[in-house]
Amino acid sequence: MSAVLQSLVNQPYKHGFVTEIESDIAPKGLNEEIIRLISAKKNEPEWLLSFRLKAYQKWLTMTEPKWQNVQYPKIDFQEISYYSAPKPKKKLASMDEVDPELLRTFEKLGVPMHERAALAGVAVDVIFDSVSVATTYKQKLAEVGIIFCSISEAVQAHPELIQKYLGSVVPVGDNYFAALNSAVFTDGSFCFIPKGVKCPMDLSTYFRINTEGSGQFERTLIIAEEGASVSYLEGCTAPRFDTNQLHAAVVELIALDNAEIKYSTVQNWYAGDENGVGGIYNFVTKRGLAKGVNSRISWTQVETGSAITWKYPSCILRGDNSVGEFYSVAVTNNYQQADTGTKMIHLGKNTRSTIVSKGISAGHSNSSYRGLVRIAPTAEGARNYSQCDSMLIGDQCGAHTFPYIQVQNNSAKVEHEASTSKIGEDQLFYFSQRGIDAEEAVSMIINGFCKDVFQQLPMEFAVEATKLLSFKLEGSVG
Amino acid sequence: MSEIVNTDYLQCLLKSWSVKSAESQSWLNQLRAQAIDRVSTQKLPTRRDEEWRFTDISPLARLPYQSSQPQYDLQLHDIEHLFLDEAKNRLVFIDGHYSPQLSTITDDKALVIGNLPEFLSAEGSILQSHLGQYAQFDDNVFTALNTAFLRDGALIHVPKNILIAEPIHLLFIATQNEVTSYPRCLLIGETGSQVTIIEDYVALQQAAYITNSVTEISLAASAHASHIRIQRESTQAFHLANCAVSLAHASNYQSVSISLGSQISRYNLDVRLTDEAAECVIDGLTLISDRQLADTHTCIDHLKPNGTSHQQHKCIVDDAAHAVFNGKIIVRPHAQRTNSSQSSRNLLLSRAAQIDTKPQLEIFADDVKCAHGATVGQLDPEEIFYLESRGLSEMAARNLLTYAFGAEIISRIPVTSLKRQLEQTVLNQTQSK
Repeated sequence: MSAVLQSLVNQPYKHGFVTEIESDIAPKGLNEEIIRLISAKKNEPEWLLSFRLKAYQKWLTMTEPKWQNVQYPKIDFQEISYYSAPKPKKKLASMDEVDPELLRTFEKLGVPMHERAALAGVAVDVIFDSVSVATTYKQKLAEVGIIFCSISEAVQAHPELIQKYLGSVVPVGDNYFAALNSAVFTDGSFCFIPKGVKCPMDLSTYFRINTEGSGQFERTLIIAEEGASVSYLEGCTAPRFDTNQLHAAVVELIALDNAEIKYSTVQNWYAGDENGVGGIYNFVTKRGLAKGVNSRISWTQVETGSAITWKYPSCILRGDNSVGEFYSVAVTNNYQQADTGTKMIHLGKNTRSTIVSKGISAGHSNSSYRGLVRIAPTAEGARNYSQCDSMLIGDQCGAHTFPYIQVQNNSAKVEHEASTSKIGEDQLFYFSQRGIDAEEAVSMIINGFCKDVFQQLPMEFAVEATKLLSFKLEGSVG
Repeated sequence: MSEIVNTDYLQCLLKSWSVKSAESQSWLNQLRAQAIDRVSTQKLPTRRDEEWRFTDISPLARLPYQSSQPQYDLQLHDIEHLFLDEAKNRLVFIDGHYSPQLSTITDDKALVIGNLPEFLSAEGSILQSHLGQYAQFDDNVFTALNTAFLRDGALIHVPKNILIAEPIHLLFIATQNEVTSYPRCLLIGETGSQVTIIEDYVALQQAAYITNSVTEISLAASAHASHIRIQRESTQAFHLANCAVSLAHASNYQSVSISLGSQISRYNLDVRLTDEAAECVIDGLTLISDRQLADTHTCIDHLKPNGTSHQQHKCIVDDAAHAVFNGKIIVRPHAQRTNSSQSSRNLLLSRAAQIDTKPQLEIFADDVKCAHGATVGQLDPEEIFYLESRGLSEMAARNLLTYAFGAEIISRIPVTSLKRQLEQTVLNQTQSK
């Protein structure tokens, strides 16, 4: 039985290929010159350059954190090239003008972009390496006043918004990797939903790392004004490489009064081979500020890829009655490592948060849930419910939970539950009695285990996530 | 700056160190010397250390209290009220020093019981193989200090298949102001033995002093031990305690620890299930008020298959007090069919009270059943309403529910007179003013 599961888990990465597109690559290394170069290449205003330089100065004074439950060889930050962009071409008006090589890449990934754009009504802002290549549906969104573009475009077109909000949730010196990102970020997405507007479609961005040896430093900023709402989707795949690639992104969400932001992620970057060679280091700082009253921020993530996943999408619940949610499925196999969870910082009155985290470990992998629930003295009547369940497949893997609960208000109510289990022989036997083979049974059990999280995903992502999980774990259970 | 203070503090403490070499064996001197070595290479932990994140012991660095000198002016009637009816064997330590006049030993035929130095020759090889072997001091500066100052201590060695029905009372009394005492306990339970010990820390007056205690418990195959630990020090005192337990095949360890006193207290309990089918049940209650800080760190380490551990820790925090709980459960590779549960329940009685709890699981085996839960909150309004609907005033309902919350842990104590005493304490503390 375990052999079946082994073979299922050990399926090779299906998305590993390199697209050959000429890249404009900056020399390796990090110093003020490089930062000035990035800023100049992107034709940035003075204040943004000083933002970067401030972050860089801060970064120089910081040391890499050591508390995490993941191990990796020391990263040589001077060996990374901090800027790479596809050679500039003339502006594209329609999808037909997009580089056919690029389009083929997405086809291989099973993302028929134009089809999806047309049929599903999704505007896709394609990030290929660090520069935005094609943006669709922009006009339609513009009609209702939504700004959805790459962050470099936004810097040019709406500098006042960027200046106001960039770094307001994740300050430049927040942590080591956020400081690095603030210094060298090349591109990312910007989304602004004005007062009272409900975004008419799900926004989605595909990130993809393509050039070997180039770290990607994405910056995403989403702002929902009073009464606005948006659902944002992020999906990732990356081609196969043997040198580790660092990905240190920063995502900032800001929700004003009565606004709602839903941020969903499906992450399937290259996880390294079955011996743990290669794979992406995914060190991301994601944080949402529920600034206004009755605002709501919801994170949903399905983490299946990357050699190392290390991130804590967090909510700062400042507005009274604001709500924070975190739904996560993290799957690790082979030598993958994941240290993920969330922080819920309750500041406002009657703030509520829900945490549902499901970790599945197989092979030699280790996955950790690390979470913080903090109830500040000002958070009258705050409420939190956390649940984190782990499933272990095989006896070589590990599952860990580190929930921090800090309560400074006696009217708060905080609950935390965690359990660890495995797929039982008797469960599989029950399925086989009913004519369902082990492989399908495992897939069903795991999907049942993760149901609470998948329900939170937008429809098309839920389908993708279910598929992803079954092929990630194919053959590992027994 | 703080580093200088830290080193100074440790250096100051070490100044009062002197080995009573005349009475000691060379292995013991060696153990003390190793401990001293460790102390000199370490620093006092600060809040930057993960293990001390929520407990700021920097006030300690300003209080380099010298180790206490023995005092013999205490009479039996001064401390009689602290005795327990059930305990036929009682070892009394005044400021960490053994007092043979105040102690009562009746069972010295059935088991080895008494002050450590008395048994250095008769029990030498046994002591050598146990003392300092469980409470590691490599990265624990307080255990290192205690080991360096190791002199008097309670020794209980229960021989094979001997069952001791009556509890053994280890009474540690603080009488002096501005001293540090270093109590030490060693319990060795041989195969199939059974014993109950009560480790009791009390103060005769409101004094500021430091207690740095270390307890080691080793249970051989199928041995049973029930360990009750009561910390009711002066509310100006500092109490720093380490307890290390090692469990062999099918042994059973039951522990109830109650924290009531001290300005700042810290209790580390490390239980290692070193062989198959070992079992432990660990219960704790912290009941604090004013500006007290009570920190409990437990680590239950399952090294072998078929182990069982159950833990429940409760905190009742009033006024501006601060309770910390960190419960770690480790299931090592191949410790299959481990069954472990842990719950941390916390009740905040006032607006300024604070709780930090961290139930932590580290699991490396797949065929295990592990669950933990943590809750923080106040009394359930529906429960209060239910009692009110039966004619209780709101205050009476609150008091009753708070009492019941704490009494659940007290009720696990198998010694009736102690249970009554503590129930009264909880009752007094949980009455609204």
